[in-house]
Amino acid sequence: MCPHTSLKQQFLKKWIMGLQRCSFSKKNMSILERKKTIKLSADIAMASARNGTTRWSRALISNASKDGSDNRLVQQILGPDSNTPAVATTTNKARTRRASVCKKIVKRSHQIRRRRRKCVAAAPVKAVTSSISKHLVRKRTQVLKTLIPGGEFMDEICLIEETLDYITSLRVQVDVMRSVASACFSQS
Amino acid sequence: MELNAGTGGNGSHKTASERDEVAALESLQFTDEIRRLMSAPGGDNASSFTALLELPAPQAVQLIQSPDSAKLIAAPAPAPAPAPAPNVDDFRGSFQFPFNCGLIDRAARFSVFAGDGNINGNNKSNSPEPTSYNSSASLQKPVKSEPAETESSQPLVSDPTVENRSVKRKDREKVKGSSKKSKTSAKESSDDAEKLPYVHVRARRGQATDSHSLAERARREKINARMKLLQDLVPGCSKISGTALVLDEIINHVQSLQRQVEFLSMRLAAVNPRIDFNLDSVFTAESGSLMDSNFSGMVIPMMWPEVQLNGNRQQYPQQLHLDAFQQPVSGREEVCNSYITPENSLLSYDSSGNSASLHSNQLKMEL
Repeated sequence: MCPHTSLKQQFLKKWIMGLQRCSFSKKNMSILERKKTIKLSADIAMASARNGTTRWSRALISNASKDGSDNRLVQQILGPDSNTPAVATTTNKARTRRASVCKKIVKRSHQIRRRRRKCVAAAPVKAVTSSISKHLVRKRTQVLKTLIPGGEFMDEICLIEETLDYITSLRVQVDVMRSVASACFSQS
Repeated sequence: MELNAGTGGNGSHKTASERDEVAALESLQFTDEIRRLMSAPGGDNASSFTALLELPAPQAVQLIQSPDSAKLIAAPAPAPAPAPAPNVDDFRGSFQFPFNCGLIDRAARFSVFAGDGNINGNNKSNSPEPTSYNSSASLQKPVKSEPAETESSQPLVSDPTVENRSVKRKDREKVKGSSKKSKTSAKESSDDAEKLPYVHVRARRGQATDSHSLAERARREKINARMKLLQDLVPGCSKISGTALVLDEIINHVQSLQRQVEFLSMRLAAVNPRIDFNLDSVFTAESGSLMDSNFSGMVIPMMWPEVQLNGNRQQYPQQLHLDAFQQPVSGREEVCNSYITPENSLLSYDSSGNSASLHSNQLKMEL
């Protein structure tokens, strides 16, 4: 994918630097630990390639730096980029505040819509089908919110934008990892 | 080019929108229109103009300015984002004249968009503007680039310009209202246009025109535009109609991608007991391979990693033997040796040409 080549190279560079810094010198790391470290470093490399422009990247980094065990790793990987944790913490607080505000607004808008629906007389068939479809869509968006890191705090518009970005970066990640893995395997 | 692809893909929407232009009023944003008309190559041919009909301003501007970034999703958005903004600021003062000329040319050429014949006859200066205004707006705006920064810049810019225009809009809408059948809706929508300085949404016939529903409709259209983008991105989604099914596909796609990442990281963890990479060699090797690798749909290749894993299980003990053999001998350099060889094999594996062979020579010299 020609437009993604620079992104791939950036991701690869950051990933390898992160892996190096992760001090794989412990010889008795279990395979699961190794896998976790690899995945974590890949995710953080992908997120830092966005430089805090997208919400999912910030949420990913802040989630990773929340746990005590991974925090050390994250600090090592991010290393000299000390500004990103600061950004993450501010967005955390802002996010919780925004979440509570958003809930109030959502509740109020639901009440208004309910009131308005009582006034507007809709054909019964149409109402039933539209409510069913809305219910389905709402369920799907809930699932999507759990998938995208930091998605629970986004409204629908932002969610779809973040999904777009997230899908492209996931693809890049998978491509790079696959080529690295194939390189390592083709040797044997 | 993306424009032609846009016209091809949105052919059905185009005809529908043309029909709608005559009968209904559409949503638009002033500065988007202005920017598009400013920066569009002035009415070259029918295809480019009608292509621009389908695209909102920022995308059209970006496509015109940077034709390389046809898929603007991964491309860094800040570069094109400041570029459209100065256009509007420059033109804010002398707004009328370029606007008129461009629109009159287009209206003259595409007289079908002028609506009724009497409009064309009556007000040549006034009426072609709103009619081609309408024609140049689109019902569904496919937002093809990272809209975050451009969208945020638009409301800030649109506010002062729009308030200047709102007065003139009222006049034009009254002219339109006399020709269109729904006078009252036009008047009411003009009142609502004052209340909403950012987004101007015209009410369609038979629809509620209070500010809540208008805002809702604008929001709906934004969401639909972005859903369209997602549909284009996710393979196999463009044929599906209906938001719930499309969302289903998107969810499946994201889940599959995440599972692939997990799987590949497990695979990498199994291969390398130690991951000490020689930076330079890996960069050159990987950049060479990445240039060649093409991303041809995630669905089909999903099967082969699992197959490969089964095949490689037999190879794991061999790997471990190799490493166990090397470890008593080795310090760090030996381990690096074993990982330079994968890059050698990679270079031989993918026939990427000159750069690859050069790097293989370099690696051999390093060894």
